[in-house]
Formats: sequence, C-alpha cells, structure tokens
Amino acid sequence: MLILVPVKRVIDPYAKVRPLADGSGIDTTGVKFEINPFDEIALEEAVRQKEKNPSVEVVAVSIGASECEEQLRKALAIGADRAILIETTNTYDSPMVAEELRHLIEELQPSVVLMGKQATDDDNNQAGQMLAAKLDWPQATFASKVDLGSSAKVTRETDSGEETLELPFPCLITTDLRLNEPRYIALPGIIKARSKPLDRRPPKVTSTPKTRRVRVESPPPRAAGIKVGSVDELVAALKDRGVLA
Amino acid sequence: MPSEATLLYPGGAFLSQTPDRIFTVEDFSSDEKMMISAAEQFSRNEVMTVLDRLDAQEEGLSPALIRKAGELGLCGVDTAEEYGGLGLGKNLAARILEYMSLNGSFSVTYGITSGISQLGLTLFGTQEQKSHYLPLLTSGEWIGAYALSEPNSGSDALSATTRAELRNGKWVLNGTKMWISNAKWADLFVVLAKVDGEAFSAFLVERDHPGVTIAREEHKLGLKGSSTARLVLEDAEIPESNLLHEVGKGHQVAFNALNIGRFKLSSMSLGPARDAMGHASAYANDRRQFGQPIANFGLVQKKFAEMAARFYAAESVIYRTGALIDEAFGLFAGSVEGNRRAAEEFALECSGGKVLSTEAEAFIIVECLQVCGGSGSAEEFPIARHYRDARVSRIYEGTNEINRIFLADRFRKRGVSLAASGDSFISEVTGRAMRIDTKDQVTVGAQSDLLLLAYAEQSARLRSKQVADKYQNAYAIFVNWANAEAARAFQTATGEAVALPAPEQSDIEALAEQVYRSGGPV
Ligand SMILES: Cc1cc2nc3c(=O)[nH]c(=O)nc-3n(C[C@H](O)[C@H](O)[C@H](O)COP(=O)(O)OP(=O)(O)OC[C@H]3O[C@@H](n4cnc5c(N)ncnc54)[C@H](O)[C@@H]3O)c2cc1C
Repeated sequence: MLILVPVKRVIDPYAKVRPLADGSGIDTTGVKFEINPFDEIALEEAVRQKEKNPSVEVVAVSIGASECEEQLRKALAIGADRAILIETTNTYDSPMVAEELRHLIEELQPSVVLMGKQATDDDNNQAGQMLAAKLDWPQATFASKVDLGSSAKVTRETDSGEETLELPFPCLITTDLRLNEPRYIALPGIIKARSKPLDRRPPKVTSTPKTRRVRVESPPPRAAGIKVGSVDELVAALKDRGVLA
Repeated sequence: MPSEATLLYPGGAFLSQTPDRIFTVEDFSSDEKMMISAAEQFSRNEVMTVLDRLDAQEEGLSPALIRKAGELGLCGVDTAEEYGGLGLGKNLAARILEYMSLNGSFSVTYGITSGISQLGLTLFGTQEQKSHYLPLLTSGEWIGAYALSEPNSGSDALSATTRAELRNGKWVLNGTKMWISNAKWADLFVVLAKVDGEAFSAFLVERDHPGVTIAREEHKLGLKGSSTARLVLEDAEIPESNLLHEVGKGHQVAFNALNIGRFKLSSMSLGPARDAMGHASAYANDRRQFGQPIANFGLVQKKFAEMAARFYAAESVIYRTGALIDEAFGLFAGSVEGNRRAAEEFALECSGGKVLSTEAEAFIIVECLQVCGGSGSAEEFPIARHYRDARVSRIYEGTNEINRIFLADRFRKRGVSLAASGDSFISEVTGRAMRIDTKDQVTVGAQSDLLLLAYAEQSARLRSKQVADKYQNAYAIFVNWANAEAARAFQTATGEAVALPAPEQSDIEALAEQVYRSGGPV
C-alpha cells in the first residue's frame, strides 16, 4: 500500500512575521522554515501506519523551490521511504496545487493521500478537497483518528460530536491537529535519510493562479483597553458602547 | 609525503598565522543543522517545560529525560557507532550540547553523561571496557559521572588522597570524592585515585559495587536541578579489569577529559545565555516606559549589542576550535597514544574558549536581568534562575584563574613561535607581552588574557569576512571591547603604556535590532 503525503514548506508558525515594506509579501530574511504542522501530522500518521504494516510505503512530495529539499529531508528522517520534489519557482494557488498533485497521483497510484487540512501560511483549507474532486475520490476531512484496514475508517470531530466514516481505497484524508502528536526526529533517522531517494522533477501544471495577492499588511495595533473598578461600572461601560441594551 | 601526519594549524598557531578560512557554525551541513534543531526542539519541549520539577529534583525525572534523549541518539553523538553512538564529530556534538543546555541544570546532567563520563573510556578504555559500558551510556539507560575533586583537593587535583590497592584480584578503593555531578542518579563513576597512595590512576566504579555510597546532596546557589553530592568509597571493591588506562597514568585520563571537557563546557555556557537573551529581548520589546518600548532606548540597545558581540565572538571561537579538534582526532586518533595526542593538541584553545564563553555567559545574563528590571529579579521570571545557575560555569572544569595560569604557561611550553602575525592590534601586543618569561601570576594572567583575546578577535574577524553582511557590527563592537581589554592586559603584563587603535565603525542600534528580530543572539 502506498501512502502519498504532500508536505509544504512554510515559515516557522511560531516566528513573528512582518510584511515587506512595499506590502508585496512577508519578509523572510532570517526566518526559519518548517514542514506545515498539519502535514507533519499527516506524515506522522503515515509513518505509524507503516510501523504497523511493513507493506506500507510512504512517499512525501513537495511543490516549490529547491529549498523545499530541507523539508523533504526532514520527512525522510521522520520515516518516509522516498521523496519527490516538484521543483518550481512559480506561485501556486490551491487549484494549481491540486492539479499538480493529480498528475503525480495518476502516475504513482497511491491507495491513500494523507495531507494537512490547511497550511499555516495561507490558511486556505481547500487543496485536499479540490484534489479529491479532481480525482473523483472519496474524501474524509479533518481526521482525528485514522484506521487503515481493508477500507479506511476515519473519525472526524464535528460540532455535534464525533463522526466515523468508512471509505474504500483509493481515498483522500486531511488531518486535524488532534490526530496525533508528531515524534521528535531521532538523529539516527537523519543519518539513514541520507541514503533514501529524493527525485526532482519539473512541474506539469501550466496554468496561472486565478487569485492575485493585492497587499500584505500587519493588523492595526490594538488600542489600549480601560480598567473598570466594579461589575456595575463594567455593565455601564458596555451599555455606553451599545454592546448591552 | 611525510610519514608523520601534520596539522596545517597546530595548537597555538593563531598568534603567528592567519588562516585563510576557519570553520564557523554556518558551515554545518543541512543534515547537521537538522540534528541541531532536533536537539533544540527536545530541549524546548521536554526540558524547558519542567524547570520547577527539575529544580525540585523530582524522583526519576532527570534519568527519564536522559533515557528519552538516548532513544533519540542524543547521548552518544561523538561516540563510535560500534558502541551505540553516532560516530559524528566533536564539533557537531558540542553544537548539539549548546542547544541541549538552554537550562543549566539539565545541561550538567546531560553534558556529563554524554561527555566527560564517556571520554575517558573512548580515549583510554580497553575493547572490553568500551563494549561493556559505552552502550549503556549512549543509550541513556545508564548515567555517567566523573569523580576527581575531593574535600581537600580542588584546583590542585593531583593532591587527591583517595587510595586504591590491589587485594586478592580486586581493586579496593578508600576515600571521599566531593562535588560529583550526577552522583544521585549515576550508575557509573570514573574515579581518580592513587594506587598505594602514590600512582595517580583512573577506575570504573559502578554504583552497585560493594562499599560505594552517595552522601550529602549539596544545597547550591543554582543548578538546583543537577545533582551534586559526595561519592564515599569505604573498602569499595571493584574488579581488577576496571582499571582505566594504566597505573600511574590517571593524570592523562583526568587532564584530557578536562581539555575536551572545557571545550564542551564552552558550548554549555552559551545555551543559557541564548535563552536569557531571547527572554530579555521579548521583554524589552513588550515593556513600555515613557510611552514606548524600552527596546528603543539607547542604553538598552547598547546592552543587547554588547551581548550579541560577546556571544558572537565566543561562538566563533568554540566552533573554530571544535573543527580543529575534529581534525586532530581525524589525524592522530586510533591508538591510545594517538587519542591522547589528539585530545591535547588544542588544550590552550579549549582553555581560552572556556574562559571567554563562561565570562560572556556571565556578562550576558547579568545584562539580561538588568534589562528586565524588577521582573528580572523575580523568581517567576526565567532570568533569575539563569542568574543563579550561571555562576558555577566560571568555577568548574578548572576555575577561570586556573585556566588563566594554564593558558600562557601551556603556550610557552608548546614552543610555538612568539612572532606575532601582527594581523591585529591584539596579536601584535600579545606577541610583545609574551616575551616576558615569568611565573608571576598577575603577569601570566594578563598574558593569558591577551592570548585568548587574540584568538577571539581573529576568529570573530575571519568569520565576519567569511559570512558577508551579517556580522560586521557584531565584530566591530567586539573588537572595540577586546582592544580596550587587551590594552589593559598589556599594561598589566608589561608596565608599559600602549595607545588604543581608532575604534571600528559600528552601529549599536542596528545590532540591537538584529537581536530583536532573531529573538536572541544574531
Ligand atoms: C556544581 C558543581 C559541580 C561540580 N562537578 C564536579 C564533578 O562532576 N566532578 C569533579 O571532579 N568535580 C566537580 N566539581 C568540582 C570543581 O571542579 C571544583 O569546585 C573546582 O575545580 C575548584 O575547586 P575548589 O572548589 O576546591 O576550589 P579551590 O581550588 O579551593 O579554589 C578556590 C579559589 O582559589 C583559586 N585558586 C586555587 N588555586 C589557585 C592557584 N594556584 N592560583 C590562583 N588561584 C588559585 C581558585 O581559582 C578559586 O577562586 C563541581 C563543582 C561544582 C560547584
């Protein structure tokens, strides 16, 4: 069974980011890059499946510039068997990501695509859904539990409780934060990863993004609040501002 | 080809030669950087979240952390693969150690078991000793300790009185070792004792050997989460095969463990400094007085700029030295004699690095506390702990005074050229001051200061040239400080006046801004 895990290179989600002065994007000088945390969870899940079932093969793929090798090497160190870098400096929107992955999936024929529900940089939460639609595959989004047997059983947390879905293979699963806690990278894993294959290939997608980034700016600084002395004062202040009738 | 392999830049060469390139942390490969960030992640998530519990010495906590670190391959980075280590370089191991050392207490626990407790074995152990003990230590299953100091023998380590006698095919040890880190939870102690009260020798003592007890956990100013206690040996019986190296060669075990130990302690002292700078920089940007963040004030910026400069220089020195040590091990190591030679070659650079980094650590933590004002002194805030923990860095692995005596003395004994390369003001005045051959401690101490400043200035300068655009300000601010220190030391050593060169152009505000952006050292 082949599990494909797309991993995106994103700015360290804990870093304080600042927009470039001209508003064209984020200033990336000196910031660290990581695997998108949701993708790391997907990868962890795939590697756990492999540890339970040795016939599972885990392939990690990333779309982006040559620096994405760093995240793919990390994916190999965590336990992916091989990695593919679709090397491009083009800007991708979600439909293009889905299309690029569709080409790869037609070639690799994975049983499962396990991917983050969203990336912490753009927060789009749609590449997985778009990809499932393009492939016409069953999908389960926001997985909090995954069980791969003769079919995939996926538990997802909804507003009304836990929902468990059963999907035939091939299928697509997107991961939520509660699915698992990714492991620490073990140093011997990093050494082993050196001899694992990492293929680079050109992109297949020729379209261009349908959305255009107009401007990136910091949220306006929050104005200082006021301190009130009692509940009565609080109620009065809220009424004053029309928050309470 | 000469039959004897030689180093391009042997120990002490920094004064008379300017290398084309030095190794800097920027040169670690991407795999190595991944290992370093794996260590940082472990440290931040597993260690920095349990500091109060560590300081309370919660039962089983430190050994559990060591075991977990061992499972990730962190307890034997530079120990050979055949003994469960990763067989990687000492320089990489030191950088990993730096990030495992964000908290001082855990730093000691980890630093000793992954470092000095294994080193004697790897350098001088027999095949059987290594195969038996090292896998237990590299896996984190066992914790190691190193027992040299005694109640009446500290700096004067060779005056130790712990005795060993061979009786009925067993070594019988008697004496008390004091200040032994990890004593509470260690399984293996490398113990220095005198055979028949004379021949200084090293032994591998297990906690469970008969006659071995641990007494009196010390109540220390800081490092409360690291165990420091006495190892009491009362007719302690250990197998004859647990002699490490040869009878009468204990000083080789002890002093070479110290050379590399000093190198590693240099990295250990940067970890807390890095963490403190992170907290202080965040605080300075958050705390507002007079209508603006205190980070904007010139005197606060000056503090961060000077911290960054001192950190930068120490870091430049440590990882330059580490690469040299790796090179020496690559050339000489193998036989016991070769191992000894490799561990000794850069002894003076190790000593200089120890003094420089532990004093940078002290300076940085004191200034971080000052930046945080009253909050800096509050125990709920992370700086107070660092302030208490950092104090011992200047005391163990040879006090900084002992290192200052050793440095100039060692330099002279190596017989390296005193002809300064003259590649800097400091190099030139150091060359002049070193011509005074004396045992007067004040002069020798000032000569040592000059030597370590010369090494630091050259390292900082070469790195700033190699890594264009990033470190000009850090270097400029460091060299201005170092020149003034060197002038003072020169005057102390020689009694002659010397004029300071014109200061390098530097931009304090820009360097402080670099610190604020990176949230720590630049
Ligand atoms: C927390 C902690 C952990 C430790 N862990 C270990 C360990 O794991 N294993 C171990 O073996 N030891 C350990 N030590 C002991 C440590 O190595 C010694 O404390 C250190 O070597 C200094 O010895 P001392 O305390 O006896 O001081 P002393 O040697 O009595 O020195 C006192 C002062 O006199 C100065 N002085 C001494 N001799 C000279 C001289 N010739 N010229 C000028 N000045 C001099 C010193 O610099 C110092 O300022 C530890 C110590 C501490 C505090």
